[in-house]
Amino acid sequence: MQKLKLHDIRLVIMFVNFIAVFFVVVSIAWTTERICSNYEAREFLDTIHALPKHPMTNVYIVVLLYALLIAAFVVRERLYANQPSKIYVTLILDFAISAAIVGVMNFNYNGIFFLVFTEVIYYVKGNKGKYLMICLALISFLLTDQKLLSISYNLYSINDYFNYYDASVQQYLIGAYNLLGSLNIILFIIYCSLMIQQQRGTIEEVNMLYEELRRTNADLQNANGQLAEYAKITEHMGETKERNRLAREIHDTLGHTLTGISVGIDACIATVEVSPKEAKAHLERISEVARNGLLDIRRSVNELKPDSLERLNLETAILKMITDMKSVTDMEIYFDCKIRKLKFDEDEESAIYRVIQESVTNALRHGKASLVRITMEKEENMVLLTIKDNGIGCAEIKSGFGTKHIMERIGMLNGTVEFRSENGFSVIARIPIRWGEEYD
Amino acid sequence: MNRRKKISIGGLAVCAAALLAGACIYQSKKTTVLEVGIFAGSNWDVANANSYVIIDKAVEKFEATHKNVKVHYYSGIRKEDYSEWFSRQLLRGKEPDVFMVLGEDFNQFAEIGIMKDLEPLMGADPEFDKNAYYATTLRSGQYDGRQYALPYETVPMLMFVNKSLLNKEGLSVPDNDWTWDDLYQISERITKDRDGDGLLDQFGMYNYGWMEAAYSNGAELFDENGRESYFNDDKVTEAVRFAKQISDLSQMRKVTKDDFDAGNVAFMPLPFTEYRTYKTYPYKIKKYTKFQWDCITLPAGKSGGNTSVIDTLLMGISSNTNQERLAWEFLKLLTYDEEIQMDLFRYSQGVSVLKEVTQSKEAEAILQEDMEKNEKFIDNRLVSDVIENGVVTPKFQKYSEVITMADSEINRIIENDDNIENSMRILQRQINQYLRR
Repeated sequence: MQKLKLHDIRLVIMFVNFIAVFFVVVSIAWTTERICSNYEAREFLDTIHALPKHPMTNVYIVVLLYALLIAAFVVRERLYANQPSKIYVTLILDFAISAAIVGVMNFNYNGIFFLVFTEVIYYVKGNKGKYLMICLALISFLLTDQKLLSISYNLYSINDYFNYYDASVQQYLIGAYNLLGSLNIILFIIYCSLMIQQQRGTIEEVNMLYEELRRTNADLQNANGQLAEYAKITEHMGETKERNRLAREIHDTLGHTLTGISVGIDACIATVEVSPKEAKAHLERISEVARNGLLDIRRSVNELKPDSLERLNLETAILKMITDMKSVTDMEIYFDCKIRKLKFDEDEESAIYRVIQESVTNALRHGKASLVRITMEKEENMVLLTIKDNGIGCAEIKSGFGTKHIMERIGMLNGTVEFRSENGFSVIARIPIRWGEEYD
Repeated sequence: MNRRKKISIGGLAVCAAALLAGACIYQSKKTTVLEVGIFAGSNWDVANANSYVIIDKAVEKFEATHKNVKVHYYSGIRKEDYSEWFSRQLLRGKEPDVFMVLGEDFNQFAEIGIMKDLEPLMGADPEFDKNAYYATTLRSGQYDGRQYALPYETVPMLMFVNKSLLNKEGLSVPDNDWTWDDLYQISERITKDRDGDGLLDQFGMYNYGWMEAAYSNGAELFDENGRESYFNDDKVTEAVRFAKQISDLSQMRKVTKDDFDAGNVAFMPLPFTEYRTYKTYPYKIKKYTKFQWDCITLPAGKSGGNTSVIDTLLMGISSNTNQERLAWEFLKLLTYDEEIQMDLFRYSQGVSVLKEVTQSKEAEAILQEDMEKNEKFIDNRLVSDVIENGVVTPKFQKYSEVITMADSEINRIIENDDNIENSMRILQRQINQYLRR
């Protein structure tokens, strides 16, 4: 909104200056023609101190120069709006053209430098450049005052031409001339005050935004603190829960078994002397209970560690998965590992295990396969993992077949994976492995 | 750079070269027009049937030596219209490259800077020697100490003598080194009431004022820059007193042109052009036919010589000319070429501004040509002296106003019989005040 207003005032200043410049050159050309057609030229010459070379040509020259000025204005605004160095060039051009116009008019109007002022203020952002340009324009304005210059130079004056007319006409002409000059200055002052207002507005806006940011920051810190506390509580709760579970497990398994054992041993103590045979049978039962208890504990511990992978090494885990799979389906699964020792970093092992698990599941679920071959080998620094089945495959490999999941996992390790659907379905994954020395 | 780029740059270069060559050829074939501003007739308002003969001759000579140059002038502009015509051209920015300047225009034109400063052109031209001109004529074209115009034709002021009247009174024509005393004595003897009606009807002098007297008394009226006047100087007061004596001889009776034409006045200051025009064929039958007459120098004052004011027609170059070189060549042809300057004696009534030309036998022969057998034209060497020692009216902006003011005031002083010393002191103070304003 503000920007639009400033822009409008620039246009108005441009227009007013054109009228002023045009007024000066046309008045002189027009008066010259009047003097000549009234045969008062010689008399007129006695009243002046200098005269323009070609009053009519001056009109054309000034209009042409002004067109150039407008062109520079348009170029600056449309083409080079964001190129400071080119804007500088056009501003210097503006300055040169304005100086030329003022020169052609023999300094009878120098308000055109205000136009350069407004453009400089509008465009030049850096303080140093801005002050330099403003100084240049200001000095030009002050030094091109006709009254000052006419002390040492012979300059033609528009007032001499105005003086040719009767007093009544003279009044209007001088009035119009002065009005245009004043209007230009007033517009410039309005422009400057708007500019200052706009700058103050920007500062206020920045302050407001800063205040808001500060408040948000405080809120965020607060929330962070709360979150940390909450996390602590959650952790505590998890701990408690886990303790409870452990207690329950111990109570359920170990407690149960130990109870049975202790009761059985008590019975044995009671019967060992009466009937050693019975006692022996008792002990056998106790032994079984103890063994079962042991199994229970093992199971419990297993449950505490949720993934079999975590308690087994990769190869064992894979083999167990295969055994499990085979025991519930009538699918044949072969695992062929050409790597001497399957021991990688945890994330790598996890990825390999999951890829195999997912692929086998896919083969069973979607491929209706009866045979799955898994091979693992080393290829340069990679592990080449191939899972191939003899299922129906699929005409088009769609994501969502678990393939997306596979890709993500491999992708996380910067590996590549490809899917082929010929003679069944194959998953070929290349996983870069951080081959630590200890694994070699 | 690839081949295509090379070819296109080469093509551009060829085009540019062709354009340049074309422009050069065009420039060399193009006719340059040099505008000249002149007026018809004489600068000194005497009849002149040969207005354009000299300029046409000069144009022909100039065009013969300058290929592709045409000199153009508007013919038929009368002298009284010339100043206005020229001013109009000037205001519109269409003034001629070379032009005549009227005496009353020169100061203002130089002041507003429309005349080219000729000093650099004069200095740069090895063929040009300003000493060939009469120094006085050259001074006429100077403003603020610089040469803005060159003299083209000059006219000295002479003293007309009614020979018949002097002879009748038993007097002879005075010599050319005569003085105020001679003039006064002759005037005193001639001034009389012939028909006895109680009124004077024969006079010594018509139209002789304090200024003529001052010029021949070596008086300087102003300083060079026109900042100060010297009306209270002895030489000026003497001149005013002498003018008053002469005027007093006619006892309140104002001598008129009719008295003069009737042959009742012995002396009258007369420009050389009038002398030339009406002394020779064919115009001699038009004026001053009732008596024998001749011209001599003006009488010398106590502190001066037989000097008079000279009036010079000037020519200058526009400060806006695009043809500076050509303009200077043409100006030089008109003002510095001896052949053209000699033609002034043949086709005009003034005097050449070149010393060599005016003092030459050829000039003398031309002047004598149209005289009657028993009469002799005034000696051209004498004319030369008069020009050489002539007085040039000062060149500063306020001159014409100031001299009009002074003239009317001094005439009032003479008529009112005021105390001359006192009145002149007051006048000087007033004029100085005006000059310094």
